[in-house]
Amino acid sequence: MVMHELAIAQSIVEAVEAKASECKAAHVKAVRLKIGDASGVVTDSLTFCFEMLVSLDPTLAGAQLLIDTMPHRAYCRHCAREFSVTNFVAQCPTCKEWSNEIVSGTELQMLEMEFET
Amino acid sequence: MPKITIAQNILAANDIIAQDIHQLLTIRGIRTINMMSSPGAGKTTLLERTIERLRGQLEVGVIEGDIETGNDAERIEAAGAETVQINTQGACHLEAHMVQDALKEMNLTGMRLLFIENIGNLVCPAAWDLGEDIRIVIASTTEGDDKPAKYPQMFAISQIMVVNKIDLLPYVDYSLEKVRRQALAINPNLRIFEVSCRTGDGLDAWCEWLSAFINGTT
Repeated sequence: MVMHELAIAQSIVEAVEAKASECKAAHVKAVRLKIGDASGVVTDSLTFCFEMLVSLDPTLAGAQLLIDTMPHRAYCRHCAREFSVTNFVAQCPTCKEWSNEIVSGTELQMLEMEFET
Repeated sequence: MPKITIAQNILAANDIIAQDIHQLLTIRGIRTINMMSSPGAGKTTLLERTIERLRGQLEVGVIEGDIETGNDAERIEAAGAETVQINTQGACHLEAHMVQDALKEMNLTGMRLLFIENIGNLVCPAAWDLGEDIRIVIASTTEGDDKPAKYPQMFAISQIMVVNKIDLLPYVDYSLEKVRRQALAINPNLRIFEVSCRTGDGLDAWCEWLSAFINGTT
C-alpha cells in the first residue's frame, strides 16, 4: 500500500470483489467510475494500478476500468449560474465573487460493474 | 451481460471508519486536529511548543504518523503528551483504520485535545478522512511561497494554515502576502497563523485560538 492511486485502486478492487461474490459473478468484465478533476486522482495511474491488482484475482482478471471524468464546477449565487473552476480558484468570472458551492469535480465514486455469471 | 449498480464512494470503507472515530472522540469530549505539511515544515516542532504551553492546563494526546522511526513520538512524549507512533513502512498517508488501531492503545480518559500528525506529504493525505474535527496545513518560509497554487487540494480541504519559520524571512525570498493571497484564492475561509516555533513569535495567538477551539467557542 504505497502510492496514492494504488491505495485507491485497492479500495475499488475490494468493493468489486465483495459485489462479485454477492452476485456470484464468474467473471467481472468492467467497472465504471466517476472521478472528478479535482479529486487529486490521476486516472492513468489509477487504471495502471487497477489492471495490476485485478490480474491477481481470477474472477477480476482482465476487467476494464471505465472512467467518467467530471469537470470542476461551482455555482455562483449572485449570477445564478454555474462556472468552471480553474486551479481550484472558485471565483465567478462574471461578478468575481467567491463561491463555496462546488457542483462537481470532487467525486471519487463507483457506479456499476459488468459481469458474466 | 448483466450490470449491477455499485453506488458508493471509493473511499467509503475508510469514511465509515472515520465516522466511527469521530463519534468515539466527540462522545468523550475530545477535539481532534489532523496536521499536514511537507516534510520538515515544522509539524512536530509546533506540537512540542504547543504541548509545552498547554501542559498543566489540559490533557493532550498525539497520534504520530511516520513512514519509519519513533523519533517524533519520543520528542512529543518528552514534551508531555501521551503519544502513539504509527509506522506505515511505506504508505505515504495515514488512513482511518490506522488511527482506529492507534486509539485502542491510548488512555482517552480526561483527554481534551488529540493531534494526529500525518505523514510529511502535501499530496496524498488530503484525500483521507481520519475522523478529525479540523485540518491544519503547515507551510514554512523555506519552501517557496507558491505552495498553495501548486498543491491546491491540500489548501482547499484545510481550515487553518500555519506559516512557520517566519524568523527566517530576512534570509529567504518569501512573500507572506503572496502565500496568503494564493491560499485565500483557493480557500477564502482559511484562517491563517504566522509563527516561528523557534522564537515563539505568533504562538500566543495560536494557543489562544486552540483554547477557543477546545471550548467550542470558535
